[in-house]
Amino acid sequence: MSSWLDYTINGLIVGNVYALVAVGLALIFGVSRLINFAQGSIYLVGAYIGWVAVVQLHTPLPLTIIVVAVAAALVGLIIERFGLRPLQNSVRIAPLLATIGISFVLDQLVMLTFSPNPRALPSQLPDIRFQIGGGTIGPLDLLIAGVGLTSALLLFVFLRYSKLGWAVRATAQDRDAAMQMGVDVNRVNQAVFGIAAALGGVSGLLVGMYYNQIDTAMSLQATLKGVVAEVVGGAGNVPGAVIGSLLLGLVESYGVAVFGTSYRNLFAFLLLVVVLVLRPNGLFASARQAPPEPLTGTFIAPSRPVRIPRWALLIATAVFAILPLLPVSFYVLQTLINAWLLGMLALSLTLVAGTIGQVSLGHAALLAIGAYTSALLSLTFAVPVGLAIIGGGLMSAALGTALISPSFRLRGHYVSIATLAIGEIVSLVILNWESVTRGPIGISGIPPLSLFGYELVSPISIYWFSFIVMVVLALLQGRLLGSHLGRSFRAIRDDDIAARAYGLSLNRYKSLAFIFGGFAAGVSGGIAAHLYSYINHETFNTQQSILALTVVILGGLGNVVGAILGAVALVGLPEVFRIAAEYRILIYGIVLLLLVRFRPQGLLGTM
Amino acid sequence: MSNIDRRTLVKGSLAAMMAGAAFSRAALAQSSEPILLGVSGPLTGPNAQYGTQWKQGFDLALDEIQAAGGINGRKLAYSFEDSQSDPRQSVAIAQKLVSDPRIVMELGDFSSPASMAASPIYQRGGLVQFGFTNSHPDFTKGGDFMWSTSVSQADEQPLLAAYAVKRLGLKKLAVLHLNTDWGRTSRDYFVKAAKEHGAEIAVTEGYIAEERDFRSTLVRVRDANPDGLILISYYSDGALIARQARQVGLKQVICAASSVYSPKFLELGGEAVEDVHVGTRYFPEDPRPEVQTFIAGFKKKYNGVEPDAFNAYAYDAMNMAAAVVKIGGTDRRAIRDAFTKVKDVSSVIFGKATFDVESRRVKGAMNAELVVRKGQFALWDGKPT
Repeated sequence: MSSWLDYTINGLIVGNVYALVAVGLALIFGVSRLINFAQGSIYLVGAYIGWVAVVQLHTPLPLTIIVVAVAAALVGLIIERFGLRPLQNSVRIAPLLATIGISFVLDQLVMLTFSPNPRALPSQLPDIRFQIGGGTIGPLDLLIAGVGLTSALLLFVFLRYSKLGWAVRATAQDRDAAMQMGVDVNRVNQAVFGIAAALGGVSGLLVGMYYNQIDTAMSLQATLKGVVAEVVGGAGNVPGAVIGSLLLGLVESYGVAVFGTSYRNLFAFLLLVVVLVLRPNGLFASARQAPPEPLTGTFIAPSRPVRIPRWALLIATAVFAILPLLPVSFYVLQTLINAWLLGMLALSLTLVAGTIGQVSLGHAALLAIGAYTSALLSLTFAVPVGLAIIGGGLMSAALGTALISPSFRLRGHYVSIATLAIGEIVSLVILNWESVTRGPIGISGIPPLSLFGYELVSPISIYWFSFIVMVVLALLQGRLLGSHLGRSFRAIRDDDIAARAYGLSLNRYKSLAFIFGGFAAGVSGGIAAHLYSYINHETFNTQQSILALTVVILGGLGNVVGAILGAVALVGLPEVFRIAAEYRILIYGIVLLLLVRFRPQGLLGTM
Repeated sequence: MSNIDRRTLVKGSLAAMMAGAAFSRAALAQSSEPILLGVSGPLTGPNAQYGTQWKQGFDLALDEIQAAGGINGRKLAYSFEDSQSDPRQSVAIAQKLVSDPRIVMELGDFSSPASMAASPIYQRGGLVQFGFTNSHPDFTKGGDFMWSTSVSQADEQPLLAAYAVKRLGLKKLAVLHLNTDWGRTSRDYFVKAAKEHGAEIAVTEGYIAEERDFRSTLVRVRDANPDGLILISYYSDGALIARQARQVGLKQVICAASSVYSPKFLELGGEAVEDVHVGTRYFPEDPRPEVQTFIAGFKKKYNGVEPDAFNAYAYDAMNMAAAVVKIGGTDRRAIRDAFTKVKDVSSVIFGKATFDVESRRVKGAMNAELVVRKGQFALWDGKPT
């Protein structure tokens, strides 16, 4: 059928676009084992520099490409020198958080400079269309394919045959050994970041021209799709990234063909999960290749946690408990309610990410499951709200653990990527499963919080309710960490081979951690649903997952008090900076970067 | 300067105290402090562009309101709180505005999750939440403090359906819609109205807001063999779809909802949006005085830029707020009651806006049938494209 030819061609065209971002991500991952969340922001910067060049300076296309490549490479070098190099010898997870902070800062700078309105970025190529099947392709398609393939090929040759390329690969395999052999590791890193950023910038330019549209929201989407494509192809494998991108494009296109447009991303993320489960190193990893993650737990390095005396904790709890009795505004209370809800989520994440080492980037999905379960139980089956919230927690625990269990065999970054995908899948299922979730219309009229027949509607009672729930969960988690179960969790995190040799069943312990964590997150989502009275598929989004991870890393991985402190800080700071209006997220990003720079192990340290 | 201000303020409050409650309104009128509205909306984050457009519309309306002497001699002002359209932040903002005695009513938020999460707080706190872009059918069901001038999709979509089916003579339609609460509600009303006019719906496709590539969707559309494409889109995605439709060789008539009505649609769509039909609530050459004042004022204030639909919503909302505060004064409950009393407020979108007290919405949006000709929106002359 001719339509299938069209779907195939369309898939390849889109894959072509993804490849540009994926190649840059693959290169950086190949060398520094880092998912560069700032790659999408460099792509954004490239697009806007391109806009200035094309629309304001009227540069011809070759010059535009050179200008964008050079400027983006400079941005990459700055990021490497000031954002990441200082973190070289700290915890492996710190650079990840730093790239998140850098992407906040870059996106905000672009937004403040150019305003958030979308702009047209006219293509400078002649408007000729070639008929292929039922559709057409233009010169820009060919240019994008050319840039993607050429850069992948050049990088492949560079890595395989040039001296600097060898140095890059040597650094990738074993940084210390490379240093001992006289490789200037910093120069290698610089070269890699420069090249990757130049590629990222040019891809932003070309994709902007392709759609004749650039806007400040394009960066996160680019990163997400790029990461999926890269991992499908085998993280760190440059030609694999290109093939992974094309495959991703095809799967999306066929998904649209068979099921319709709103299922498109569902297939992209399902593909990712399937590939990760079947071939954890990507489709094109060679059997001889060393495992991409270290065997033992350098991913989350232990540090000396800050000891907080018991009396200090008691006093802090007491102060927060009597806070509503003091003359504080409802605004402060509401902000703290948000902090306690985020705190519950952070408790959950710090357990699975910090204590057992499964860094999840899809934790908002657990909130969503808890929220929808609790909302539907109370609305459809008239279950009392208190019980419905517990039901939400149980459902999150069960469903969350079931969803994540296929990826228990993954390590390090791959867990993060698998959970990211699962998070997106949950959100898309909520969007499409209309008979149950009411799809995009969402659920409205969710009854307010109530306990034993008494409605909790005043901010004071909601404050106490959420505070008590969080404290109870925190105490339980504290007990858990002190027990033999907690020690087993940490053993698995620090050295899973040794733990297995000692007779610990990894999957069982990972399940236990997710069950407990899922419950806490589900309860948080359930409370939020009754607080908001309305939820839809956008209420609990990827940004929330990223925020939760930021909280946990900031507080110190595995650290119960740290998670709560981090939640208060990250809910509070944007509110404190409210006075700065449009600049507040920029300031927030900078503060985040400074915190990572000076406390890479988190405020209270890893436990 | 500030000394004088403080003195008048002291005088004002002294007068108020002495004169007692009965005369408090007169005393407030003397006060030089502006009457303050709270706005909760996105200034950063993925929806930041809409917050920026709100501000432009608000500022223009405020200029005119101040020039006409303000509200009983006092200035009207707003305090814009950035929510990023995130429900967690909009609920905190709601508490902040409710507990700030200077705020007399609230406008916004932008997205349904952010707005409706905050509704219970406004309702219990007794502060009007005036959501002027909240088309979600359940928004005003949140309580008697929720009011909206958002054009009801039950009103708008039948107009679009009439344009597409009766006036343009399209018989077999493909509907592409944003898969949000707005897009979904709109689609349902559109499909119902179009079927009543005798058209067949060949295919409907919902897409998520971040989508940029519609080629595969358009193959589905092509295979359904429609004679017209209906876009229930915002301007940026609408422009993308139109471009890609032309690139893949679809030559059908395109008819779009009023939310694409923006100069950005023309800029982003380029030649591809030529001959696209748009059902809107006003058009540049509209002889109505409120439209002419709005467009001329907007171009003057913003260097010749044409206003778009979101600018118009915000402009109307601020004028409505002024009219309501004029009647209700600065008491929050009186302001809520004033929504039931306010009549025939001049409005770009509605002509004369009066609330339906039952639904707390305004009915009867104006209708204009436009088409893009030579890169400009123009009134459709009835000629087939």
